[in-house]
Parts: sequence; structure tokens; C-alpha cells
Amino acid sequence: MDPIIEIFKKGVESSQCDQKDICMVTDIAYHPEVTDYLGMDLFHTSRGRAIPFATGMKLANPRLKLAVFIGDLATLGGNHFVHAGRRNMDIHVICINHYHYKKVGGEYAPGVFPRVPLSPYGSFDEPLNIPHLARSCGAVYVARWTLLHANQLSHAIAESLRKTGFSVVDVISNEPDILDFYFQHSEIKNGEDTLNVKIVPDGKIIVGQFVDRERPNFIDSYNEQMTKVLGDKFVKIEV
Amino acid sequence: MKETNLAVLTGSHDLTGSQACAEGGLSAGCRFLGYYPIFPSFDIVERFAERFSDVKGVLIQMEDEISALAAVLGASWTGKKAMTVTSGPGFAQMAEHIGLGVMLETPCVIVDVQRDGTSEGSPSAPGGGDIMMARWGSHGDYEVIALSPNSPQEMFDMTVKAFSLSEKYRTPVILITDTYVSNLNEAVHIPDAKDIQIHTRKYYKGKREDYLPFQYDAKDLVPPMVDVGKGYRFHVTGLTHDERGYPVMDEKCQEWNVHRLVQKIRIFAEDIVDFEEEQTDDADVIVVSYGAVSRDVIHAVHQVREEGIRAGSLRIKTIWPFPEKKITQLAKKATHLIVPENNFGQICLEVERCARGRAETHYLYHASSRIGQSDDIVKLIKKVMKK
Repeated sequence: MDPIIEIFKKGVESSQCDQKDICMVTDIAYHPEVTDYLGMDLFHTSRGRAIPFATGMKLANPRLKLAVFIGDLATLGGNHFVHAGRRNMDIHVICINHYHYKKVGGEYAPGVFPRVPLSPYGSFDEPLNIPHLARSCGAVYVARWTLLHANQLSHAIAESLRKTGFSVVDVISNEPDILDFYFQHSEIKNGEDTLNVKIVPDGKIIVGQFVDRERPNFIDSYNEQMTKVLGDKFVKIEV
Repeated sequence: MKETNLAVLTGSHDLTGSQACAEGGLSAGCRFLGYYPIFPSFDIVERFAERFSDVKGVLIQMEDEISALAAVLGASWTGKKAMTVTSGPGFAQMAEHIGLGVMLETPCVIVDVQRDGTSEGSPSAPGGGDIMMARWGSHGDYEVIALSPNSPQEMFDMTVKAFSLSEKYRTPVILITDTYVSNLNEAVHIPDAKDIQIHTRKYYKGKREDYLPFQYDAKDLVPPMVDVGKGYRFHVTGLTHDERGYPVMDEKCQEWNVHRLVQKIRIFAEDIVDFEEEQTDDADVIVVSYGAVSRDVIHAVHQVREEGIRAGSLRIKTIWPFPEKKITQLAKKATHLIVPENNFGQICLEVERCARGRAETHYLYHASSRIGQSDDIVKLIKKVMKK
């Protein structure tokens, strides 16, 4: 099983959420047997669109907890990420931040600088600071860990699932055989300002829990506004 | 008052096409509207927004039309009937998720209030250029159901029907209308709730552990559905999949998967197809039309009949699947088929194909500015009949 799935399973178990209520929505393919392994439904949607798919699900059935696995959020799903954060939609994003798209191979992702030259001439684009983007958009929980930090990562996933609101766990997840690279190049700085956690060539990968705060989530704000305008006529969305 | 009583406003009302569409959705049980505002589809959203609290509905303005349809697909899997409304440029964005909706066999309704294109086009002018996009908009092979109303009453009836078809065949259904019909104000009769026929999706009733999301009935080729989060532990994917919903990348599975998606509509096309004929029995010339333009055709046919020309009308109510057999049958009887369209010839080619050379097909550009007038149709009928 994919190491991130094993870590996610531990996170779900320690979050004490009912597995049946959790639904995985992804924009990348996972081994389909994870549904049995995790005991939950899985929707593999179109590239970059897992967040809005999960948004519709959440609003139509607020009992569900949506674990949204996205692979290349900063490109195809970037706008959905920004707006789900702005709304503080109650979904839990696990951003699988590869150094490159390992399943396709060759292209470089905007999330991080490529350790290996991925286009014939390498990547010169500025990398995107995902934790900072998440915080700026209004996420209530933001953490980043590498696959090396399996315990912290499963703990972060559990924390994220316990939050109500838009939570983001940035998983630096290349091939598991470079754990030594993470050991050499990562540095734990819990509570660090997300402005300082950008991944830069030759710099340390800053990991830790960066944001944990409260904001009214979309369903709360929706209920509040509709009740204000419509009074008793409005039946609140019950979570 | 019960939720269904509040949802169905039984009685006669003075409604615009847009309002009738929203009422049709509510009467059909639609409880989720995901949209991104685009002119001229505002009025449908406005009516839904006025009424959603009566029926415990939810509406959300998403960040774009891509996400609007994605949210609708997600909502549909929770068991709610869901719809989205848009116009040309938004419909173009939705193309991606029409394909996903087809592949995941997700019931939902997409209303496209056409405006003149291309691109941003002319937002306030009634358009008719999205007909082929509704058919072929998303990549890959698939069949689609698209309905074309020509009055506020039909905006109501066909929205209900769109939901019914989408639930029955587990596929997105497109209601393809235009600014003319959506702005039109006419009497709309809403029947009693008990008289509104709505097909509800087939639910899986077997053991949980035996559930396979794409195991279909040989009878109708439609797999029974379950709602998300009920403990079935199922996997669905937009990739080519087998009956377990597991991706399988081989030619055999590709054929099993996509062939069925196509066949579940094609085999039953004759049950889905709907049209209205007028005086076609003895007609030498038949005007084939749909949507707003068809309103002008009736006037033209009546006018030339008075002058002794044996003209008839075939109004297509289900654009996709296309009424192929009907056109072929009419082409055997009539000498000429005239296809007036508010586009540069989209259905005309379909008519010509189905006529199989047995009748001559004539295309007529009936521009949005001409809707409401029938003189050009009369003129062409006379010309082809040489009178």
C-alpha cells in the first residue's frame, strides 16, 4: 500500500472519526483497494477538480467528512483551493506534493523546485509556497511534513480531520527511498510564519504545524445569514 | 405544509421561461443548485433562491462553471437531485464534467440558456449555436440526452422530464434553451404533485459486501446506485473501469465500459425521442425545427396552407438522441425538408443525413433578430414549391 495511505489510515484511526462518514475524493488515481483497506468510499474525479466535487458533497450531506487528496493543486486546482479556503469550506485537503509527478514522469510541478532535472532544461519557475497560500486563503489548519515524519504526519491528519473548516496538510512525498534526503534537508519549526517556509534550492525543507485557528466555516455562515434574512422560514443545514 | 406541497405550486401561473424552469426543478425534487452567475441564466437562479428555503434546498455560487458542475456531481452522489444553470461560455467550461458525469453515471441536469456566440458573443441575444456542443462537447465517446423547449410551459415540463431521464438512465441531461424562451412570459400550468411523473434512480438492494458500483442490469444496462457514506466502501473513477469501479487499462475493458455508456442511450433512443408533428400526413414540404424558432414555423405552415401549399411541421423536442427514424420516414413522403435554425446549420446536417437523399434538405438562417417573424420561412417554402 502507498505509504501515504498507511499514514492516512493511522491518522483516521487516531482522529476517532467514523470511517463510514469519511469519503476520499481525489484527482489522482490510488490503488482502488484502498476503499477496503480504509473502509471508506473513494471518488477519483477529474484532474484538479476534487475540491469542488467534495464541496458539493459536503453541502448536500454535511454529515460527511471529505478527505481530499490532490496532486497538483497549484496548477489545475489552484482556483478551487483559493475559494474553498476563502469560504472556509469544511473539507480536509491532503496535498501530495511530489518533487515531480512521479506517476507521469518528466514534467515539473510548481509546488517545489525539482531535485532532479525534469524538463530537458530543468525548472526555473518560482516554486509556490503552499502552506502560505493556504493560510492566506483562510485555512484553519495548516501543516507540512515529509514522509520521513510519519508519526507527525498521521497526527497532523488526525488534527486536520477533527477541525471543522478548510484544513491543509502539505505532504512532501517523493519516492520513499529518499527518506535520507529528508533527514538531511528538513527542519522542524512548529508555529513558523508561513512566509518563511518556501522551499528553495539548497535550503532546508521547513516542516511543522504552522496554523491552528478558528473561523466560522461556510455552513455556519450560510445558516447565520439565511436565518438573519429569512427568519424561521429557513431550516438550518444540520451538520 | 409538507415539503412536497411547498415544492409543487399546483395551479395556473403567469411565469417566465426561467421561472418555470426553476419551478420544474423544484417540482422534480431538485434540492441542490450549484452555479456561477452568467447572463442570461440569472433568472433561474433568482427564482430558485426565492424558493429554496421552502424545500430545504441548498444553493451555492461556485468560483466558476467547472466547479459548479463538479459540485453538482458531488451532490448527486449523496442522493440529492441536483442541477446547474449556465449559458454558452459557462457551458464550454462545463464540458469537462459532462464527460465525468457520463463516466461516473451521475444523474444531474444542466440548463444551457443559449446566447449568441461565438466566445463571449452577444449576451442578451437569443443564441442557438450550442446544439452540437451539447452533443459532442466533452472528449471521448458518449451519448447524451438534450431537450429543447419552446415555451415557458415546456420549460417546466421538460425540466421535470430532464430530471426523470437523468435518474432513469443515470446520465447528465441537458436542457438546451435560449434567451427568447427563458424571457417569454406565458401561462404555465403546474399539475398536482401526484400527477408529476418522476423516475427516481434505481437503488442497490443487495448485501453491502456484494455491491459492485457498475454491475448493470442486462434489461436496461443501468447499474443500481448507492449514496456515498453508507458503508459500501465503493470506488469510482473517471478512468476506464470494470464493474467494481477499478481502473483497467485494456481494450476489452474500454469496450465493455464505453460501449455500454453509449448503448444504454442508443438502444432506448426511441423511448427517449419526443417530437410534435403537424399536418405532415399529406405534406410535400416539411419544416423541421426546434426551440424558439419552432414557434415561427407553425405560423408559416398555417399561412402557406391557406395558399394551397401542402406544408407540414416536425418540431423536435428531444434534440439528442436525434429522431432519426422519424426524419427518414418523413423524407420518404415529402419532397422537401426545410430546416430553419438560429445558427449556421447544425441540425440541418443531421436532417440531411437522416433524409438519406429521399427528400431535398434546405437550410435557412433564421437569425436571433428574426425570432418572432415567419416571413423568411414562408418565402423559402414558396420558393422550393415554386409558387
